[in-house]
Amino acid sequence: MFYKTLGLWLFICFNIAVFGQNNFQIKGFVGNATTSKPIQGATITSKSNLYALSNEAGEFVMYNVPEGTYTLTISHVAYASKTITVNVNSKTNKVSILLDTKTTNLDEIVVKGKTKEEIEHETPMVSELVSKEFLLTNRENSLMQTLSKIPGVGTVNIGSGQSKPIIRGLGFNRVSVVQNGIKHEAQQWGNDHGLEIDQYGIENISIIKGAASLLYGSDAIAGVVDIQPAKIPLLNSFTGEVNLLAESNNDLLGVSVGLQSRKEKWYYRTRLTYRDYADYKVPTDKINYESYVFELHNNQLRNTAGFEANAAFSVGYIGENFKTETFFSNVNAKNGFFANAHGLEVRTSTIDYDSDDRDIDLPYHKVNHFKIVNNSTYYANAHTFHIEAGFQNNHREEHSEPVPHGFMPKPDNSKERVFYKNTISLNVRDVYKPNENHDIVFGINTEYQNNNIGGWGFLIPEYNRFTAGIFAFDHFDIYENLHFQGGLRYDFGTVKTKSYTDWFQTTVNNPDGSKSNIYLQRAQNKTLNFNSVSGSVGLSYTAPKTTYKLNVGKSFRIPLANELASDGVNYHMYRFERGNLDLDPEASYQIDAEIDYVSSKFSFGISPFVNFFENFIYLNPTPNFYETLQIYEYTQTKVFRYGGELNLNYNILKNLNLNTSVEYVYSKQTTGPKKNFTIPFSPPLSGLISASYQINKDILFFKNLQFFADYRITAKQNDIVPPEEKTKGYQLLNLSVLSNLNVLNAQKPAQLRFKVNNVFNKEYFNHTSFYRLIDVPEPGRNISISLTIPF
Amino acid sequence: MKFLVKNLFLVIIITAFFGCSDDENVDETKPTISINYTEGFPKPCIELVRGETYNFRAQVTDNVELASYSLDIHHNFDHHTHDDQEANCDLLPKKQAVNPLIYLENFTIEGGLTSYEINIAVTLPNDIDTGDYHCAYSVTDVTGWQSRTSIDIKIVE
Repeated sequence: MFYKTLGLWLFICFNIAVFGQNNFQIKGFVGNATTSKPIQGATITSKSNLYALSNEAGEFVMYNVPEGTYTLTISHVAYASKTITVNVNSKTNKVSILLDTKTTNLDEIVVKGKTKEEIEHETPMVSELVSKEFLLTNRENSLMQTLSKIPGVGTVNIGSGQSKPIIRGLGFNRVSVVQNGIKHEAQQWGNDHGLEIDQYGIENISIIKGAASLLYGSDAIAGVVDIQPAKIPLLNSFTGEVNLLAESNNDLLGVSVGLQSRKEKWYYRTRLTYRDYADYKVPTDKINYESYVFELHNNQLRNTAGFEANAAFSVGYIGENFKTETFFSNVNAKNGFFANAHGLEVRTSTIDYDSDDRDIDLPYHKVNHFKIVNNSTYYANAHTFHIEAGFQNNHREEHSEPVPHGFMPKPDNSKERVFYKNTISLNVRDVYKPNENHDIVFGINTEYQNNNIGGWGFLIPEYNRFTAGIFAFDHFDIYENLHFQGGLRYDFGTVKTKSYTDWFQTTVNNPDGSKSNIYLQRAQNKTLNFNSVSGSVGLSYTAPKTTYKLNVGKSFRIPLANELASDGVNYHMYRFERGNLDLDPEASYQIDAEIDYVSSKFSFGISPFVNFFENFIYLNPTPNFYETLQIYEYTQTKVFRYGGELNLNYNILKNLNLNTSVEYVYSKQTTGPKKNFTIPFSPPLSGLISASYQINKDILFFKNLQFFADYRITAKQNDIVPPEEKTKGYQLLNLSVLSNLNVLNAQKPAQLRFKVNNVFNKEYFNHTSFYRLIDVPEPGRNISISLTIPF
Repeated sequence: MKFLVKNLFLVIIITAFFGCSDDENVDETKPTISINYTEGFPKPCIELVRGETYNFRAQVTDNVELASYSLDIHHNFDHHTHDDQEANCDLLPKKQAVNPLIYLENFTIEGGLTSYEINIAVTLPNDIDTGDYHCAYSVTDVTGWQSRTSIDIKIVE
């Protein structure tokens, strides 16, 4: 059957190729009239439905053109349109068109002739730009797993598709995730669920490593994952993309469809994504956790199946001196947790988990994240005003089989925890350019959070939180190559926690020796105020091949409601968690440096950092018990950290590239009850050796065939803090092949990717995985096929 | 190839530099807990009688200093959990709890000991539900490391 299908395919493809020979082609070049430089993205159209788009080199090709005379219109947002007449009568017809720059042009003002890369080089903060191409080439099961290939970026995982970012060993609320200018607000503190963002449809991400509170406010201590809006669609365009994905390890099937269109001033984009996956497989048939043994059916981690359904729509308008875009998005996901032990609690159940590997039984979690965000920019001579407004609703539920615990009788439903959080954000920024050398930015960030709880398990109280920050900074070009950026910021925050009383009675011992049954109060009505001054100064020097950066910054983080006011049993972790109302905002000082050398053959980068926390907040396991459960208390200690990343890239041959990167972080608590210990979830030393090879010749209908091999070497992690376990080192090989397919549309080739993760099906542990705690290894071999069809 | 060797060399040097840490000694050892000695109590699947008093005994040790321990006895009428002992007890049919025994007590170990025998006298009231119970010991050291062990038992008339 396979050969028959293949034969049919080949036959069809061959015929398409043959048909092509009977018609003519128009080849052309579009350039800038003053500089003669190529113009990318110019559209070439005719009344008879011919269509082409110029590529990076300014070139375009129109295939299958019948003999005749054609009037072609060449247009581009930044240039005045031009019309030419072409007489098609020979096999190939060559044309060259030069366009004049528009006198008043909006995008010109925004870009100011600098590319994103140039701006990135001139900013003293250490950052990485992630392109759509990188995302396409390295796509993993979740956005953060895709980004973890970047040195210094890692993930906290739970299961096969859930993950949260770690930057240089810090995660949760010490990394800000920003999408379309608005900070993503969910239950970031939780370590058993992922980031509620659709990874399809993202074109640009800027990752900042280091102190970034100046620009991003509270939480941007370790860094920022800034997901930027996609490029505005081209004039009179309608384009789209279908992404298909299939995986072997968890039998995942995924489909995502994106469309975008623009007439002249109005444009819209939309995307739908659906993914459904079964229990994932690990390279072992039993899990040994403490003295428990869990037999696995078919190597599957029972009850880790799930699905994700996302929808997004945006509508934008470009006016004479302003532009605006409003984004609507909804992410909905549900996935099960490993049934034998969720967290540290060992469970038995009568649920027949092994009967179906696609169903989601208890325990599971589900989440819905809804967002409306507006980005508007108004241009007024030397001033550019940016306004970002957002509303987010995060609704998350954790369900588990009800069991009695301590004095709590058996609850009558499975709703263990419910979180319902609304966040309203408003950011206003004025970028003022008094002359060529200065970019002065004034800004205000405000955010209001309203967090509600439900369910029979109490962990964090309901709260309202309001934060506001005001900042100013200057980007000053001292010389053409030497850039200074520095600024100050002041933030104010207020957190109002609401009281909570148990729904069941607890037997307590009175001082006189008698016992009484009372409803214990877990949280009180409290208003806590915080304020913080932060800022940073930095220099960057851009030599022709080398960029040097130095940045010193202070960042801060307002304590979370759970850190301030927890007072309850975390059933999953089998511990009693206690907050501390006296916590101060975390203050972190960091020095970052970066040297980047790029030549055509070789590039080299090193980015060391030194970091000091005045008062790092951390959940400390104490030697004491509460109702027979160990008490964990939020504590503040001084922490010293250093580390960095190293990257070498070498083009051995024209088609063969070798890349090596190493990342390392050292952390140590210098005061407090865990003095000389590290901090939780410290990633081990890790290196990645990648090779890629490109074949220039087309083979059958495969074009631009690229082969990738990634070999990761991770050292053991012996630097632990209670209750962590030491984790052994490992080596891992991933292989992939990427190819353009010249089948459906020669101008917009489809992309096919075939990828094998964990080629040797190796059993290994990830120190920063949630399931590490119960000795569950990482997923086994996974073969995935993905197809991207643009149209 | 020569280049590759050079690169790797550089990587190794930097790795070695970062890898050296001036760790001061920290306590990385968990305490131990065991009922696997003659007087250890209760043994898996044992039947305890209502109205009687029993001495729950377990041996705990630590390399630095023991801090606290706890004993939790709760019913397992819904078969929600199981013990970590080698023996598998036959459980009675599932049933609803009416007046189950809930024993939750914490104790501290004074005097900076590294070895200690837990010995808690528990009198089983006459009016509690009979059936499957679960008995869990827990011990901590001064650093905050914890060890646990649990045993399936039955309470009978």
